[in-house]
Amino acid sequence: MKVLALVGAALVALSAQAQDTIKIGVITDRVGVSKPYSEPSTEGLVFGANEINRKGGILGKKIELLVEDDQSRPDISAALARKLIDQGVVFILSMSLTPATQQQQTVTMEAKTPQMTPMNSGDTLTTQLPNPYFWQTGPLGSIQIATLLAHARAKNLKRVSLITDNSDLGQLIARFFRSGLEKSGIQIVSEEVVPRGATTAEPQMQKIRAANPDALFLAGVLTAENVLILRAYRQFGLKFPIHSSYNLSVPVYLTVGKGLVDGVTFVDAYDPDKPEVREFEAAYRKATGKDPFNMHGYGYDGIMLVAEAIKKAGSTDKEKIREAMQSLTYQGVMGAKGMKYSFPEGKRAGFDPNGMVVRVYEGDKQGRVVYTGQK
Amino acid sequence: MIRPTGIINFAVGEWAMVGAFGGFLLLTEYEWPYPLGMAAVLAFMAFLGWATERIAVRPLVEKGAPLMAPILALLGMLVVFRESISVSFPPDPHPVPFPFGFGRLEWGPLGGSYQSFFIIGTTLFVFVGAWLFFERTVAGKSFEAVALHRRAAALMGINLSRVTALSFAAGASIAGLAGLLVSPNISAHYLMGIPLAIQGFTALVIGGVGRVEGALLGGLLLAFAEQLTVRYAPIPAGYAQGVPLLLLMVFLLVRPTGLLRARA
Repeated sequence: MKVLALVGAALVALSAQAQDTIKIGVITDRVGVSKPYSEPSTEGLVFGANEINRKGGILGKKIELLVEDDQSRPDISAALARKLIDQGVVFILSMSLTPATQQQQTVTMEAKTPQMTPMNSGDTLTTQLPNPYFWQTGPLGSIQIATLLAHARAKNLKRVSLITDNSDLGQLIARFFRSGLEKSGIQIVSEEVVPRGATTAEPQMQKIRAANPDALFLAGVLTAENVLILRAYRQFGLKFPIHSSYNLSVPVYLTVGKGLVDGVTFVDAYDPDKPEVREFEAAYRKATGKDPFNMHGYGYDGIMLVAEAIKKAGSTDKEKIREAMQSLTYQGVMGAKGMKYSFPEGKRAGFDPNGMVVRVYEGDKQGRVVYTGQK
Repeated sequence: MIRPTGIINFAVGEWAMVGAFGGFLLLTEYEWPYPLGMAAVLAFMAFLGWATERIAVRPLVEKGAPLMAPILALLGMLVVFRESISVSFPPDPHPVPFPFGFGRLEWGPLGGSYQSFFIIGTTLFVFVGAWLFFERTVAGKSFEAVALHRRAAALMGINLSRVTALSFAAGASIAGLAGLLVSPNISAHYLMGIPLAIQGFTALVIGGVGRVEGALLGGLLLAFAEQLTVRYAPIPAGYAQGVPLLLLMVFLLVRPTGLLRARA
């Protein structure tokens, strides 16, 4: 009897503890292709949750994060979403690859559970499924490209070269670059591909040198191959500017591309001079002893948005949270100065089309903003 | 390594990766002088090759498993190596320094980075060494004998397991060296092994498995085909990477034993 009573007491304690917290599910990637992005982003998210809890939580309750690893695999991802919902989460944050996030939607839509990705940039995530429980606050791929092209038009370029790698995403971004450049009346005088696993990009760069462009557009997303391209560019002592996709905003280039990146411009959603960014960086440094970068901001904004929505809903009822989220306006760390996330007219992609910036590498540092928006 | 044992080692690309990470650790992190770091990497790789043979190959061979068994075991080791590195280091590519710095040498019609010339020199050195060993020394001949007929070689007093262990140690050292040489260009990365292994096996098929010169010849042909196609062939950039594979298919159809045939 005594044992049974003890077990009973333990169960009561457990359920009391469970009621005390607001459970939020996180699906991230710890071993797959998205790991370099998912890991820092999730670190930012965890930091944000700790900050919220330190200040007393939401609605008087602490946030409890349930973190799962889907290895960026869509097949695993949906099952994990189901698992999290069964464990009672009121919101799922998707921190891995776009196809995995897409797959989770099949579950969240059916289970009517709010889900958001603060970092995926796939354009079709909110348009393919009429899932009213899903939002996306990462900057869409089309916004990145429009911002880069607006910067190119402002530079008055006439003849440019285009280089990419043979990954799916690299090819896709190159295709967007191509059609955007052609629409702007900018001539593409040479187009090169560096295959994954290549050991040099010198022949490609020789061809580009022969074409003598005003600028080179770098659409590749594979770090090692991009470094090969930059290395060949320095090797030949070329002078035309390099304009790169969002990929070069990942800080790995500071170490692996040391001495190669000076003067390269890249699209980013992070302005180091923005007051919110300064505040976030200082707090993160104080709490963890490490320097955060743009990826951390995505996860941080993600959990802050979710907390804001729950606060606004005033309850953990999923339907109320959905309504609150849809009508939310929030200014976070990411985006140009003054940018706010919002979901007007039933749209569920919340990143402002004019919220991205073009930055330039200064020496081996990611430097100042040189262009904002896409006008 | 294929020569004396008949075992195709699919983990060879991962050995190169381990060598590259050795370079990152010793040369970038601890800033050892290059020759010392290089020697340490080679020694460690020899040990790793020996250990691989001890753990994954010898037990199978001793129990009389068919040739396929160690090949599959090595495929498993590929995963073990890759995942060990992937959990021990952050996922980003890691820089490895150039031994002669970053610069370019132009010499008549020839031009290339210091590193390219260093790689060519080291490769020639390794191949001359391997050729001399296999063709000119008794120990090398004993490797050949094992390749031709294991049982007969054993009856002649050749220590089979020693030959196998040695060939694994040497194979791993050379793979590690390759990883170290290529890593200043492509950076040490946990997924770097497979493309390197594919290029290596393609070169081997083109050149011929039976002869030391085969791998060198195949490698050179493949490299020229790749680079010259990208630079000069009037085809869209995306298709240039298919040319080496086309070359591979032609060789498999027309000359499946490779350019150079093993001596009878």
